[in-house]
Amino acid sequence: MSTASVAIPVPRESSGADRKAGHYVRFNLFAFGVIVMVAMFGAFRMYQQVFAWEYGLDATAPEFETYWMTLVKIEIPVLFGLGFVCWGYLWLTRDRNMSALTPKVELQRYFSFTLWLVAYTFAIYFIGSFFAEGDGVWHQTVLRDTPFTPSHNVLFYACIPTYIFFSVGGFVYAITRLPAFSRGISVAHVLAVLGPVLILPNLGFNEWGHAYWLTEEIFSHPLHWGFVVLGWNALALPGVALQMIQRMVPLFHEVFGDMPAKPAD
Amino acid sequence: MSPNSREILAVSELPPEGAKLSRIWDWCVVAAVALLFMGAIHLHVMLTVGDWDMFIDWKDRQFWVLVTPVSMLMIPAALQAVFWHYFRLPIGMTLGAVLLLIATWITRYVGWHLWGYFPFTMGVPATMIAGALACDAILLIVRSSLLTSTFGGFVFALLFYPSNWASLAPYFIPIEHQGMVASVADMIGYVFPRSGTPEYIRMIERGTLRTYEGTTVWISSFFAGVICIFMHMLWWRIGLAFSTQRFVDSSKRFKKFVGLA
Repeated sequence: MSTASVAIPVPRESSGADRKAGHYVRFNLFAFGVIVMVAMFGAFRMYQQVFAWEYGLDATAPEFETYWMTLVKIEIPVLFGLGFVCWGYLWLTRDRNMSALTPKVELQRYFSFTLWLVAYTFAIYFIGSFFAEGDGVWHQTVLRDTPFTPSHNVLFYACIPTYIFFSVGGFVYAITRLPAFSRGISVAHVLAVLGPVLILPNLGFNEWGHAYWLTEEIFSHPLHWGFVVLGWNALALPGVALQMIQRMVPLFHEVFGDMPAKPAD
Repeated sequence: MSPNSREILAVSELPPEGAKLSRIWDWCVVAAVALLFMGAIHLHVMLTVGDWDMFIDWKDRQFWVLVTPVSMLMIPAALQAVFWHYFRLPIGMTLGAVLLLIATWITRYVGWHLWGYFPFTMGVPATMIAGALACDAILLIVRSSLLTSTFGGFVFALLFYPSNWASLAPYFIPIEHQGMVASVADMIGYVFPRSGTPEYIRMIERGTLRTYEGTTVWISSFFAGVICIFMHMLWWRIGLAFSTQRFVDSSKRFKKFVGLA
């Protein structure tokens, strides 16, 4: 399926549905994504509450395999599988005639892109704050024996794939549907996606250090600073927002006012 | 429609429908900024300040007062740069401080208290809201990043200890424990076991620090202030560098894929 745009002259004065906010911003899919995330993260937290102390203390116990390793075996293929399906869909349904994109459709797409980014930040909150300090709770209380622990099995192997789903998804959406982000690759967007994505391979460094050095569990240990530096890339998202503003302002005037929009650089 | 709303519409040069849509985008940005920086600042502080912020008995006069403001200033200073440079909003530091405190308290309750069964008294987090407000106010007055770093960065660190004093004072009350002087915070640490964080790795005040008595904390605060001046300068520039609006040209082949060639 293709979403090729057709060059139709846009009437400046329009009193129809295309002047209503609902025409440009559609929350349905976004709301679905957020509800799924709330349900999933809520379920993970309850699962930890119920099964962590009971079956999560010893990685060699058969119960650990049943309750905690089964979780990993489900979440990694499901979440990455969904990611590849979604990214593949976005690529295959890309706009193949973007030079003919109308301002109204472009503005609509900027709102969809915005919602991709909001969903991404929602996932970031859960990994950066909620479950990350939960990891501190667990490992300052219970000594780790493998890279698979009740906190890691949620934080590393569920939260990280979830935000990668949204970060890469938003990136593919932007480069396949927005002319400004297709003509040139946004440096800020690459940083905002790549930094957090690289947290996944940085787990190798983290677990390697924990396996060989007796650091105890000092949370400010330099072993953890790889996550810190990669997390700084969040500061690039304001750059993406500024790039969007630069294009959305003329689009707003083109769609709602009298000022024609210049083509995107 | 209020005169204020009419004025806003006139400035935006948009009809009410357009202004409404633009406001929806603003709210999306507010949500994204709040969620993003709750996660990013909390992760940064959690992994650099760590135990000093997590545990009441780690809040010493030597390192807690030094490490915490220096680390807590970094990302908020970058936020301050972005909000001021592009939007002339002197809110970045305060926003960062408030978001961090909200994020921290959520996990102190849902994580430490409900999951780890830690008492609230063990995990009282530090706040930097007072220092952040002062730093934003200084920016508003002086309108210069250099002067804000010089005075705002220093004041931020200097206000850290007094602004936390009210919530922490009860834990610093001295008590006698097995013939030695300890604090209430020490006692909480002694009696609540953390098997992953043994008592011996906690920083204990020693050496001539004791002889400085009440001035110790101010010496640490002044030292933190000196570091915060330069840290603010550095992170102001990091904030602007990260928010680059640069595009790198796509390849001709890619443009062909999307019908732009």
